[in-house]
Amino acid sequence: MEAGGSREREARNYLEKHRIMELLKYLTSVLLFIRPEKPREYLIAILEKLRIAKATGVAFPFFMDHSNITAMFDMMDSSKKGTISFVQYKEALKTLGLCPADEVLKDDGHAITLDKFKSEVNKRTQEICGRTKGKGSGSCQTAAEQPRLH
Amino acid sequence: MDATTAPHHIPPEMSQYGEENHIFEIMQNMLEQLLIHQPKDPILFMINHLQLDNDNVPKIVILGPPASGKTTIAMWLCKHLNSNLLTVENLIAKEFSSLAAAARKHYQINKRVPSMQLVRLIQDRVSEDDCVRRGWILDGIPETREQALMIQTVGITPRHVIVLSAPDTVLIERNLGKRIDPQTGEIYHTTFDWPSESEIQDRLIVPVGISELETAGKLLEYHRNIVRIFPSYPKILKVISADQPCVDVFYQALTYVQTNHRSNAPFTPRVLLCGPMGSGKSLQAALLAQKYSLVNVCCGQLLKEAVADKSKFGEVIQPFFEKDMAEYKLQEGGALGSLPCNAVPGTARMLLPDSLIMKVLSERLNQQDCIQKGWVLHGFPRDLDQALMMDSLGYKPNRVFFLNVPFDSVLERLTLRRTDPITGERYHLMYKPPPTTEIQDRLLQNPKDAEEHVKFKMDLFYRNAAELEEFYGQALTINGDQDPYTVFEYIESGIINPLPQKVP
Repeated sequence: MEAGGSREREARNYLEKHRIMELLKYLTSVLLFIRPEKPREYLIAILEKLRIAKATGVAFPFFMDHSNITAMFDMMDSSKKGTISFVQYKEALKTLGLCPADEVLKDDGHAITLDKFKSEVNKRTQEICGRTKGKGSGSCQTAAEQPRLH
Repeated sequence: MDATTAPHHIPPEMSQYGEENHIFEIMQNMLEQLLIHQPKDPILFMINHLQLDNDNVPKIVILGPPASGKTTIAMWLCKHLNSNLLTVENLIAKEFSSLAAAARKHYQINKRVPSMQLVRLIQDRVSEDDCVRRGWILDGIPETREQALMIQTVGITPRHVIVLSAPDTVLIERNLGKRIDPQTGEIYHTTFDWPSESEIQDRLIVPVGISELETAGKLLEYHRNIVRIFPSYPKILKVISADQPCVDVFYQALTYVQTNHRSNAPFTPRVLLCGPMGSGKSLQAALLAQKYSLVNVCCGQLLKEAVADKSKFGEVIQPFFEKDMAEYKLQEGGALGSLPCNAVPGTARMLLPDSLIMKVLSERLNQQDCIQKGWVLHGFPRDLDQALMMDSLGYKPNRVFFLNVPFDSVLERLTLRRTDPITGERYHLMYKPPPTTEIQDRLLQNPKDAEEHVKFKMDLFYRNAAELEEFYGQALTINGDQDPYTVFEYIESGIINPLPQKVP
């Protein structure tokens, strides 16, 4: 029984460490949205692109592109103030699957602007897809920067 | 995107695509493999896994007492499914392996292989290319609970486990007649399975250890162990009686191995019930709608409702429902003559044009409750053209049932229907007879239930049925000539279990 418990813990840690669940959710969403004729081949293509993006730091073609992020922000910001509340921001990240349920985001008292929202979404998506820590983080930043300039 | 906005409408195309391509199962298998192997580079592992595309290769375990015919069944299954057979003998016979050599030595001395070595041999064999691509069938392994747990620990999980069973006396007797062909390794029997070629007959030798006493001893050990192996494979195990002809056992095993288990994939039933008049479609649809909260869409009912509601469709449809058509036909011959519709010779009415029915139906099926909860459709399509039209508009049922009822039963069910004109109560002279003769005297019959009409409708259905059956390739045929709840259970199992895989 003890051995079973520790293997389960190992498995859960593995899932957490590599953010497997988020990756699978992302892949499933892409498949259902695009509905390619040959799902396996399409999945292989996406995964290959991910590998390349991870290795070379090239911007990964995000599923949520920037018009989508802007549209989402506008939907939440119904009074067009230019900012959204912290609660809305947290819910949005959870909906996108970018924020595990138990993560505590600090509320710095200011409302979240469109730019901050965009950069946070980009950063988290990069983390999931790339999982580059330490020396790779430089390329992460550049990859995140590039789309913002569009 | 807020939690506060209204429930998001998921387009039905997404769930249809997901079901057809088994997206859930693909993802589930990938996750299983990731958790078992926990590779350092998950993305590369996932790419390789997807390229292998071996989610559906056979992974079978066959267990059973001595003389039950395990090896015979395993060999036949192997040939039929083009897979690899793994037995204790051929695992230890492996060349160029020190592990196998050590196992052989042990086998020669003690007549059994230690579990650790056996499991390691299995692990090596299963990771070889041909097993990965074509699957494997384990014959007689695991022998004990210890082995079963060890195999599970290294990540080898079968998808189907077959356990053969037969009474001990039968087995002891059978074992006495066992003969082996030393060249091919095939097992024959003096009574049940004697080879026809005389040269094989001459070759056969009597194997060691088949006397009654020895068989009884082996059986004792088998019974002790098998009971403790059952809990390791709770949902994938099936017991097949070995006390029947070999061929029957084989076909049962083959059918079982080719069925998929119920999966946890999200599933919105879109059920189509087809059958002649009187087959029980409306009743089954009502039962299904009630139990599974599906929307009951009866085509005839829908049209009548449209007329009653005086909607825009209703006004167009109403003329078709008028009783006196003769006069109408003369008038409308010009305008409506060009519409494609099923004109029925011999009756004064013209049937509704297909396009009109389709419009009313589309309107109903596009409503949110149908998309979300699923639907049960009956009364449409009645022929290939209507089916093609429905398909082209995107309304594809994921379960189709044909209810077969013989003509006499239909006549019995329909021609004995009566209605009481005063209370409005409906009776059936055989299944629900009226309580008093006074009521019985005043009962009336609906002209639609007259024998002539019923015969005509049945002919109409059967003329088109063959085409419909061909169009809906995955349709299930059910014997409708039983009591309603039995038929309902068959339909339920057809909906809940995954569709049978076609034999390649």
